[in-house]
Amino acid sequence: MARTGNKNIQAKLVLLGDMGTGKTSMVLRFTKGQFFDFQESTIGAAFFTQVLSLNEATIKFDIWDTAGQERYHSLAPMYYRGAAAAVVVYDITSMDSFERAKKWVIELQRQGNPNLIMFLVGNKVDLEEKRKVGNEEAEQYAKENGLVFLETSAKTAQNVNELFYEIAKRLTKKVPSRPTGMKLHRRPQETGRRRQLPRFPQLFVRMLVYQIELHCGPSDLKIKAALNEK
Amino acid sequence: MYQTHSKREFAIEFQPQIQILRPSIHSRRANLLVKFQDLYGFTVEGNVDDVNILNEVREKVRQQGRVWWALEASKGANWYLQPQVSSLTEGIALKSSLKLSNLANAITLKRLIRKGIPPVLRPKVWFSLSGAAKKKSTVPESYYNDLSKAVEGKVTAATKQIDHDLPRTFPGHPWLDTPEGHAALRRVLVGYSFRDSDVGYCQGLNYVAALLLLVMKTEEDAFWMLAVLLENVLVSDCYTNNLSGCHVEQRVFQDFLAKKCPRIAAHLEELEFDVSLVATEWFLCLFSKSLPSETTLRVWDVLFYEGAKVLFHVALAIFKMKEEELLLTHHVGDVINILHKTTHHLFDPDELLTVAFDKIGSMTTNTISKQRKKQEPAVMAELDQRLRRLNSIKMDDEK
Repeated sequence: MARTGNKNIQAKLVLLGDMGTGKTSMVLRFTKGQFFDFQESTIGAAFFTQVLSLNEATIKFDIWDTAGQERYHSLAPMYYRGAAAAVVVYDITSMDSFERAKKWVIELQRQGNPNLIMFLVGNKVDLEEKRKVGNEEAEQYAKENGLVFLETSAKTAQNVNELFYEIAKRLTKKVPSRPTGMKLHRRPQETGRRRQLPRFPQLFVRMLVYQIELHCGPSDLKIKAALNEK
Repeated sequence: MYQTHSKREFAIEFQPQIQILRPSIHSRRANLLVKFQDLYGFTVEGNVDDVNILNEVREKVRQQGRVWWALEASKGANWYLQPQVSSLTEGIALKSSLKLSNLANAITLKRLIRKGIPPVLRPKVWFSLSGAAKKKSTVPESYYNDLSKAVEGKVTAATKQIDHDLPRTFPGHPWLDTPEGHAALRRVLVGYSFRDSDVGYCQGLNYVAALLLLVMKTEEDAFWMLAVLLENVLVSDCYTNNLSGCHVEQRVFQDFLAKKCPRIAAHLEELEFDVSLVATEWFLCLFSKSLPSETTLRVWDVLFYEGAKVLFHVALAIFKMKEEELLLTHHVGDVINILHKTTHHLFDPDELLTVAFDKIGSMTTNTISKQRKKQEPAVMAELDQRLRRLNSIKMDDEK
C-alpha cells in the first residue's frame, strides 16, 4: 500500500480556546486572507470550509470555530466529536488563556477520539512586547503531551497558512485506521476488523520517513514539530 | 445620547444609495453589490433586488405607522395598554369585567403587532407591553442610576469579559462603535451583571443589549428591557453557568422541527446535522446576529408581546422556507451555508413572519412548557455527566 496519488480527503477541524485568543481571526486569515482588529465575538460556533491542495492529496477542511467563553464549553463536544484535527489556541499575552488551553488539551485527550491530531497554537506573536507565555514553556508542554506546537499571528499572517498546511500534511500521512471525521474518497472503504499487526510496521516506517523529511527536507515548511526537536 | 433617525434623516441616508444604483439598474442587475446603511445604521451589502425590497419594506413601515396613528386618534394614546391591564391583574376579580372592547383591542393588537410596530413607537410600546414598565415601577425611581454608580470602577470576571467584547459588538456601527456607544453598552451590561450574578455576563447578551440601546434610545430603558427579557420573557437559565436553559430550548426545537417539518428533520438526521449547530446563535442572540436589523426587530415586536414561543416559530420558518433546497443537500456544510445565506438576506420581515405564523401552525406556550419539562431531565443528566467527567480529570491532575 504505497501512497496513493490523488486522494480527496474531507476533514473536520475544530478550534478551541479562551475567548479573544483569535480563533475566528485565524480562520478568516486562512480562508479569506482577511483580518479585523476587532472581530465580532462568536456565539455558539461558526463554520467555514477551505480546500488545500498538496502534492499527495486534496484536503477539504470543514472548520468549526467555537465560542470561547467558559459557559459555552458545554456545547463543545458537539463540535469536537468526530473531528480529525483540533487546534487549541491561546493568546501569548495571557497566561490565563494558556491555562485554559491546557484544560482543553486534557479534555480532548480523555474524550476526543484517539486518532485526533492535536495542535497547540500561541497566537498574537505580533504583540511580542506584551508576551506572558514563553515560547519554551509552551513548547515543553506540547512535547510532553504529544502536540504539534506553533506560534502564529493572525494579524501579520505569520505561520497561519503554515499551520493549516501542516495539519493537511499530517492528515494525509495518517494511516486511516478508522475514518472518523475523515472521509477518504476514491479509495475502497476498509471492511472487516482492523488488521493490527501488519499495519504496525507500516505506520512506523511512515513516521520515520516523515521525520527524515522534516529534518532534512525537502520540506517547504519550517515548522517546529514538537515530537522531533531536541 | 444617540438619537434614532427621524424620518428626514432617514430619507437623506438612502439618497447616496439611489445615486449609486441608477446608472446600473439596466445593466448587471443582480450581480451588482452595493453597501449602504440600513435604518438602524448597520452596513448592509446587497444587490439591486435587495435594495428594492428594502424600499418596499420602508413604504410598508410608513403605511403601518398611519394605521397606528389612526388608532391612537380614535382610541386614545394608550389604547393598547388596556388588554395588558386585564391580564396583569388577573385573579383580582377583574376577570368578570373583561369588557368586549378590551377583548377586541387585544385581538386587534395581536394582529397589528405581527404586522409590525412603527420604529418611532417601538420604545413606548415595547416598554409597556413587555412588562418592563411594571418591573421598573416596583423599585425606586433612582434604581438604575444608583446601580450604575455603585458598580463603577469595580472589576469582576464579568466586567473583564464585557470590556473585551465592547469593541467586538457590531464593530463599525456609527454609534455603537464609538467611545460613547461603548460606555453606554458597558453600563447596561455591567449593571445587569451585578443585578443577576448567576447570569453575570454571557456572550451574546452584548448583541441583544446593543440592539436594545439602539431602539430604546435611553440606557435605563434598555436596561429594563434586558431585565424583563431575561427574567420574564425567555426561559430561565438560558444564559447562566452552563447555558442549560439554552440546551433545553434546542432539544425542544428539534422536537418541533420533527413535528412541523418532518421531511427536513428526517433528512437532517440522515446527515447527522444537529439543529443546535445553527440555532444556538439564533436563540442566544435572538436573531440579532443573523437577520437584518428591521427583520430582527419585527421578530422582537412579537417576542415581547407573545413570549418565547415566537423564537420557535421564527426558527422553524427559516427551515420551512428553504425546505426544497435543504432536502437536496448532502453535507452538513451545505445546510449551514443555505441557512446563513437565507437569514442574511431576509430583508422582508413579512416574508418571514407570514411563514412563521401562518404556515407553521399554532404552538401554545403550554405545549412548549410541557416539552421543556420533558427534555429538562435528559439535559441536566448530560451536563452533569460531563461536569463529573471534567472533575475527575482535575482530580487526576492533582494526584
